[in-house]
Amino acid sequence: MNQPSTVDRRKFLGALGVTVGGTGLAGAGLMAGPQVVKAATEPAKGKIPDTPFRTGHMTFFTSAAAVLGEPSHKGHILAAEEINAQGGLLGKRKIETITADEAAGTDANVKELRRMKLEGKIDLFTGVISSGNSPALAPVAEELGILTIFTDGCTDFVFDVADPEPKYVFRITNIQSADGITAALGTAQTWPNVRKIAHIHPDYSYGRNAAEHFTLAIERLLPGAEVVSESWPKLGTTDFTSHITKAMSANPDLLYTSVWGGDYVAMYKQALRYGLFDKMKVATTLALGVAPHAIGKDHPEGVLSGVHSNYYFTYPGGDRWPLNKAFVQRYYKRWNEYPNFQSEGAYVALYMLKTAIERANKLAGGWPEDEAIISQLEGLGMDTPSGYIYIRPDNHQGYKDAVTGFSKNLPDYPFATWDPHRVITIPIRNITAPAGWAKPGKGHNESTAAADWIKKTWPKATG
Amino acid sequence: MSILIIQILNSLFYASVLFLIAAGLSLIFGVMRIVNMAHGTFYAVGAFVTAWLVGRAVALGVPTVWTFLLLPVGAGAVALLGVAIEPLLRPFYRRAEEYQLLVTFGLLLILEDVIRLLWGGLPLSADPVMDLLPSVRIGGLIYPGYNLVVIGIGVVAAIGLWAVIYLTKFGVILRATSQDRRMASALGLNVALVYVSAFAIGCFMAGLGGAIIVPTQTAVLGMGIDALILAFVVVVIGGLGSLQGALVGALIVSFVRTAGIQFFPEIELAVLYLIAALVLLVKPTGLFGTA
Repeated sequence: MNQPSTVDRRKFLGALGVTVGGTGLAGAGLMAGPQVVKAATEPAKGKIPDTPFRTGHMTFFTSAAAVLGEPSHKGHILAAEEINAQGGLLGKRKIETITADEAAGTDANVKELRRMKLEGKIDLFTGVISSGNSPALAPVAEELGILTIFTDGCTDFVFDVADPEPKYVFRITNIQSADGITAALGTAQTWPNVRKIAHIHPDYSYGRNAAEHFTLAIERLLPGAEVVSESWPKLGTTDFTSHITKAMSANPDLLYTSVWGGDYVAMYKQALRYGLFDKMKVATTLALGVAPHAIGKDHPEGVLSGVHSNYYFTYPGGDRWPLNKAFVQRYYKRWNEYPNFQSEGAYVALYMLKTAIERANKLAGGWPEDEAIISQLEGLGMDTPSGYIYIRPDNHQGYKDAVTGFSKNLPDYPFATWDPHRVITIPIRNITAPAGWAKPGKGHNESTAAADWIKKTWPKATG
Repeated sequence: MSILIIQILNSLFYASVLFLIAAGLSLIFGVMRIVNMAHGTFYAVGAFVTAWLVGRAVALGVPTVWTFLLLPVGAGAVALLGVAIEPLLRPFYRRAEEYQLLVTFGLLLILEDVIRLLWGGLPLSADPVMDLLPSVRIGGLIYPGYNLVVIGIGVVAAIGLWAVIYLTKFGVILRATSQDRRMASALGLNVALVYVSAFAIGCFMAGLGGAIIVPTQTAVLGMGIDALILAFVVVVIGGLGSLQGALVGALIVSFVRTAGIQFFPEIELAVLYLIAALVLLVKPTGLFGTA
């Protein structure tokens, strides 16, 4: 059990369930679709107060991260408006939202959370994009006893170290380590002859995490693969010309990058002028994860364009999964733009809460206590626009199948989007550490439980 | 070898933009003794205005060749903004520095929000300008032609600024006012006009920096703050108030940054501040600064 065995690579990828499929009809256009927002089929039991249910939503409204963060707010508001149109939670309590700009910095954000709870009297805290903020906010949320559903801030660190036995805190987007592993699997599946890899990552926790887990996975999938160049630009860098030149000077087969948002837009535009995309393949973890219209049609095609392993609005497409088609239509009607994974995450977070509250009410009547809501959220599984989601009870982390795709320009959209015939899906339990796996500091010193799990259980591929 | 040439060109490109911003900052301080915290945001305004103008021009069907002329227009718009804002700063010229820092910082916050109000959270691009010029071959690699133009503009700006300050009558007036404001006023110079002009020129430089760089990247929220920090590092190294200092500081910062990226990637975040710390230890007023 200690010695990693060897296995044929194609069989290994097959065993991991890495499948390449199509999205169905590419156009998630504005045709009439079924209204999938179900009104409660029975009235709520017992006496329900009609005071508003106050939520606090914290995300990036300013700074370069706004292209990732603002859609989170839009998804949240869309869900709140839909629920309120049916009378609110349990038909009686309308959702109100106060917002805060996450760009204020970690210390200010912690203070803001306290203020929201104590002065703003919120019943639920949602949002949070940056993995720099969620590990600071989670322990404070536990201390304040405020029900919390993070829509991102997906670093493993939160439930590995900062808040290992969460009570009030939940997180709905896939755990961060899945990003690097998804990109590695996509690379090994599509470009199995890659051996020399250049890295460009923003120098903060996300970039480091993405680099580490990609390398751990790729070592086992493509033995002989080596890192020939590394760059760690500051988050917020807009001039990548030196980094691009450095990467090109090492003559790699593949550039792997977790640069995202406005930084990524600057980087790919500059890289185009240097002819980088003609000289090597490119794999990303978050290229198309921002608001979809932020990536123009000048973006090169055939780039492995990650979406933080969570969701891209064209998949599942057409009538194959009506929940997604209807969600995209309603979102587009409300905001005149297409949703990203933050929008879907924030939207699902409120519906998850609604479902948990309804179930708790059905069991016990009246407005459920936080404890009751928490117990219903733990282990809750739901149909969502992105697919099935499951909230694992031990770490309150949401799990849904990982997806990634390849960039392509389609006539239906004025921006770069996914090739509808080459969407890669991976069952999430094959790329994340299972419940009960030792966390860092408890028997090993790896940075994440996932890293330890890969090292101890993944075989090395051959062929 | 071609990699070396390209990295040198990359450094000169980055230095050109840094020089424009830092020279403007130094000029404003040299003449008016004001540390303009909002200077980076003027750079950002220049970038946004230019990107927006290019977008509008393309939408109206203007041939792309003419969009190049929008660059100085963008810079000019920032100069006009400077002229409009300068009267607000007048009460603080004779006050302690803390007041100036607070007021210009407040200006920074207001301008950042104005940018967001006018143009929203999405990055604005001005690609058509960059596409005007083809990429050049250097060895086996290619280099964007537009970047060479930026380097050229940086050189022209440096020479032009030097010429204005040292070879024209207006330059003499500027230097006189910066050396001794009271005496200049006693000699009959219109000091208020000199101050407005200096501020306008400084803002023009910052706006020009933003305008020439926006085709190569995009105008994003927060770019002003980044630029400000870099400009401060440059003037710390070169000496606040000195134009040679701005030039030399920009070159040092740029070349050290590129060398770090190429050879010691892990150090990239720290290297600029290490250099600034080193200069502060050895020569606290900066390489060309006066006390």
